[in-house]
Amino acid sequence: MSEPMAPTEPAASQPGSTRTGPGRLLVAIYALFALAATARAGVQIATKFSHAPVAYVLSAFAGAVYILATVTLTIGNPVARRIAVVSCSIELVGVLAVGTWSLADPASFPDATVWSGYGSGYGFVPLVLPVFGLLWLRRWNRRPRTQRTTVTSAEDAGEAAGNGAAHSESGTSGQGAEDVVADDST
Amino acid sequence: MNGAVATTIIVAGLALAGYALLMTALNHRMNVPLLAAAGVLEILLLVQVGIIVAKLAGGERPAGLATLIGYLIATPLVLVAAAFWGLMERSRWGPAVIAVAGLVVAVLMVRLHQIWPVLHV
Repeated sequence: MSEPMAPTEPAASQPGSTRTGPGRLLVAIYALFALAATARAGVQIATKFSHAPVAYVLSAFAGAVYILATVTLTIGNPVARRIAVVSCSIELVGVLAVGTWSLADPASFPDATVWSGYGSGYGFVPLVLPVFGLLWLRRWNRRPRTQRTTVTSAEDAGEAAGNGAAHSESGTSGQGAEDVVADDST
Repeated sequence: MNGAVATTIIVAGLALAGYALLMTALNHRMNVPLLAAAGVLEILLLVQVGIIVAKLAGGERPAGLATLIGYLIATPLVLVAAAFWGLMERSRWGPAVIAVAGLVVAVLMVRLHQIWPVLHV
């Protein structure tokens, strides 16, 4: 069953790279944040570094991570995808850690970073972006070794429901979960 | 008078985002009307940059001059870059990129006003 399923699944996101389809939007937003964080940190470090050194260094670090994610998502080969997974993970840990730190100890942050308050200054996009990045990359990194039809059908159901992000092995959409159960029982 | 251009840009940016988002929802690719709309917004942005540069040349200075100049350079470039990046896409996600650019342009205009309230957005 996995043989006929395999060609139809990638057709949903022709022609097949991490920078095409939904990835086009993802790379665009990553590039935007790479620019925003780097430029912001650059101006702040150049003009008033002593005012909030921790915040500015963290912003610069965030900018570097965004640049790395943008470049690796654009390249999209297996090595780049692996680096992208690492940078998205660092990003997720970073936004959670810095977000918590900025709320617990506001004195350390006289000026905000991109990740302060879990990215509240940027509409919480910094918090959501790495999650979508990792979900998108997971799709690509899993494909070569996907043999389980149950996972494929769950993914297709999720896709048909209109949200590629919601699918996971836990079968978030009820329809997907039912499909898995049905496949298993037969 | 300056305020009129900035307000128009914010409204146009949001309208462009809405139109592009609708195209994404309807599974449409990039097309000429969308590109033309983005082009109109780009012209408005360049007019606004011209107005601000004229103010700067007239001797007025905001508190965060470096940030203001960064915004002046970045705002028109974001839309052009988005248009090229979106054109490379042969699916609904091309207009989605334009939608983000329209929103970003509107937000950047509001931020510009916060940096330099003299602009009367």
